[in-house]
Amino acid sequence: MSDQDYKYIENPLHVTRREFITITGIVVAFLALPAIWIRSAALSNNEYIKARIRNLYQDDVKSKIRVSHANKSVARYYSEFGGKPLSHLSEELLHTKYINRTKILS
Amino acid sequence: MHSENMILKHPLSVRIFHYLLVISFLPLAATGLILFFKPFSENAMNLAMRIHVAAGILLTFDAAAFFIIGYKRVVLFLRRVFSISGNDFKWFAVLGGYPQKLLLHKKVPVPPMGKYNSGQKLFGACVFIGGVALIFTGIALWAFPHNLPHGTVALMGHVHTIAAWALTLFLCVHVFLGIYMFDDFKAMFLHGKIPYDEAKEMAPLWVGNEIIAVNKK
Repeated sequence: MSDQDYKYIENPLHVTRREFITITGIVVAFLALPAIWIRSAALSNNEYIKARIRNLYQDDVKSKIRVSHANKSVARYYSEFGGKPLSHLSEELLHTKYINRTKILS
Repeated sequence: MHSENMILKHPLSVRIFHYLLVISFLPLAATGLILFFKPFSENAMNLAMRIHVAAGILLTFDAAAFFIIGYKRVVLFLRRVFSISGNDFKWFAVLGGYPQKLLLHKKVPVPPMGKYNSGQKLFGACVFIGGVALIFTGIALWAFPHNLPHGTVALMGHVHTIAAWALTLFLCVHVFLGIYMFDDFKAMFLHGKIPYDEAKEMAPLWVGNEIIAVNKK
């Protein structure tokens, strides 16, 4: 069907400059306010993450043993009992399994 | 079809926007319900989430593109749906005469309406406010859930769920009445035109105040 077979249309809207500025201003405010709120919320959240990172590094500086493979207890476990990392016994004893708990949590 | 007495109600830009809205919102509503009730296995839920995100991106681009391309139509739409008059209260008092027409086969006097009747105006306002809320909370929940505080994410999740339920329930009424007014349904999905006489009966203020004859060259 062609677009010519109609006799009437809506009177086209003429947006004046003042209306355009008003509407655009409302839209910008409408977009900017939640954006500012989300940004400030994200930044305050990042402060917690940064503080956590800072404290973890401080703990690392204070700790004598910083990595698991330098831990004498872990080394003793492998030498006397578990064999080697990823061995069958170690995997059975130390590795965790995924359990879907989304239905319980919701 | 009496081609001489037709009004172009839905131009091509509006119809394309509506097509994209249909093919994005229906999967969004379906996968949203799946994500809400969690009836399937983990793999199926992951697939539902992927479809939900893809359809959400399509809807966001559709809305943003129409806002830019159809700027004047958006202004007209907002002006219409957010204008309230005494006729709107009278319309809601008889619910547009639809229950009487559908259940009792009686015709009751209905106050004259513009392009959108009061129910459509309420639906339009809910679609605009709810749609904007859904898009913004959806983007934040998808893209930055770990950058935002838990409380903010939880609040956005609640807003997203409430807006989605409201629009999905409204959609059922919208689809039913859309098919019931079949000429308007054909106009939106096919050619954009409705008969002049029907428009004059359904929306006398619109036809009287806003419809003009096309200048034939």
